[in-house]
Amino acid sequence: MITQEKYRTTVKELLANGTIKMAIGYRPGSTPDRRRPLFIRTSEEADQLVLDSTCITNLSGYLVTEGLLSDEKQVGIFLRPEGIRSINILAAEYQLNVDQIVIFGFDSTGREVRPLQGRNAGDFSALLTEIKENPPLTSKEPLLERVEKMNAKERFDFWQEEFSRCIKCYACRQACPMCYCRRCIVDSNQPQWINTSSHTLGNFEWNVVRAFHLSGRCVQCGNCDRACPVNIPLRLINQRMAKEVVDGFDHFAGLSPTQEPVLASFKKDDTETFIL
Amino acid sequence: MSEPFEPKIVAFVCTYCTYAGADLAGTSRLKYAPNVRIVRLPCTGRISPMFILKALQKGADGVLVSGCHPGDCHFTHGNYHARRRWMVFRALLDFTGIPPERVMFSWISAAEGSKFADLINSVTEDIRKLGPFDQYQELITETESPATL
Ligand code: SF4
Ligand code: SF4
Repeated sequence: MITQEKYRTTVKELLANGTIKMAIGYRPGSTPDRRRPLFIRTSEEADQLVLDSTCITNLSGYLVTEGLLSDEKQVGIFLRPEGIRSINILAAEYQLNVDQIVIFGFDSTGREVRPLQGRNAGDFSALLTEIKENPPLTSKEPLLERVEKMNAKERFDFWQEEFSRCIKCYACRQACPMCYCRRCIVDSNQPQWINTSSHTLGNFEWNVVRAFHLSGRCVQCGNCDRACPVNIPLRLINQRMAKEVVDGFDHFAGLSPTQEPVLASFKKDDTETFIL
Repeated sequence: MSEPFEPKIVAFVCTYCTYAGADLAGTSRLKYAPNVRIVRLPCTGRISPMFILKALQKGADGVLVSGCHPGDCHFTHGNYHARRRWMVFRALLDFTGIPPERVMFSWISAAEGSKFADLINSVTEDIRKLGPFDQYQELITETESPATL
């Protein structure tokens, strides 16, 4: 509550003195444990702001809305550490200018919400390094271990079972802040890379491609998991891939706004034990 | 089933090294397994993981991707980028249940005609031992769009 009140005041101040033209935060949703995005432009709107432990959506995707940042004015946004990482990635991929982003950082343990120190993406590097060193365990850990232990055939069956439910609604893509391409590979039909039918084949290809494009970019915010109407554990694949790039290339996505994207860079001595 | 299984293998190769290596194998009259379909591309950096999925989608039992040795890329570092991408993509395929033995990577230079012939032979043998990629082909059958490889 105190954090919420403090932030309401801060947002009002920054709006009044013209530092930011808008702040993106949360407001009550359709049920007590749901939140909706709130776009604050006036002091009255700031009074609707809610900040509690149920504010879990990573809002950073709204920042790449076409035209939002083209007037070079600043925009404020409420972010958890994962959100701050996605800002860094978006900046590193030249999708936004970090100087235009005013961060209202927060995190929560249990129901307790606490503010994070800092306003600009660069201010959080100590915090992010700390997360890199001690990544928080997710609820998916046991499942990840189970899947890792399977043999190839079992894994194939496991994922076919999961993917067979996919209805290709692309909610996972829309919800992900890292999926900002104007034209997604599934939308192109010349050539048609991915089978459009919702047969398991097309679903498999879609989910593999999605996971590949997010390898070394996913920040584990969980937007995709929550958006999927048929509860496919999408984040699990990305979690596995995140581990791969940390182990293989010491790359923890979103550490700083100037970090080179892992698949757009290379070292001459990268491992190649698998190459014949 | 008295006939031995003849695997279908798709090889994506770069034009400057591996394709030239294959050419050398041919002009040197080296004999190698006829199971491989070669697709020539400008550079390994141009070999998108989509190609590998497409090959499987069309019924391939195995895929080979090959290009210039590190340091030899015609475009100086296309193969370095490709190498990172493959490593990640390979882990992804492994995690989603595509056996890594079915998707192979190699470096073959324009002078390595015999390496090319040997590799094609050994790859064909390996895939023959693994047998057809039934699990994937069931998915293709389900879509009622038959393989056109
Ligand atoms: S893939 Fe999912 S968890 Fe990862 S950044 Fe995108 S929405 Fe968040
Ligand atoms: S949100 Fe779920 S059902 Fe929709 S396309 Fe993504 S994986 Fe498929």
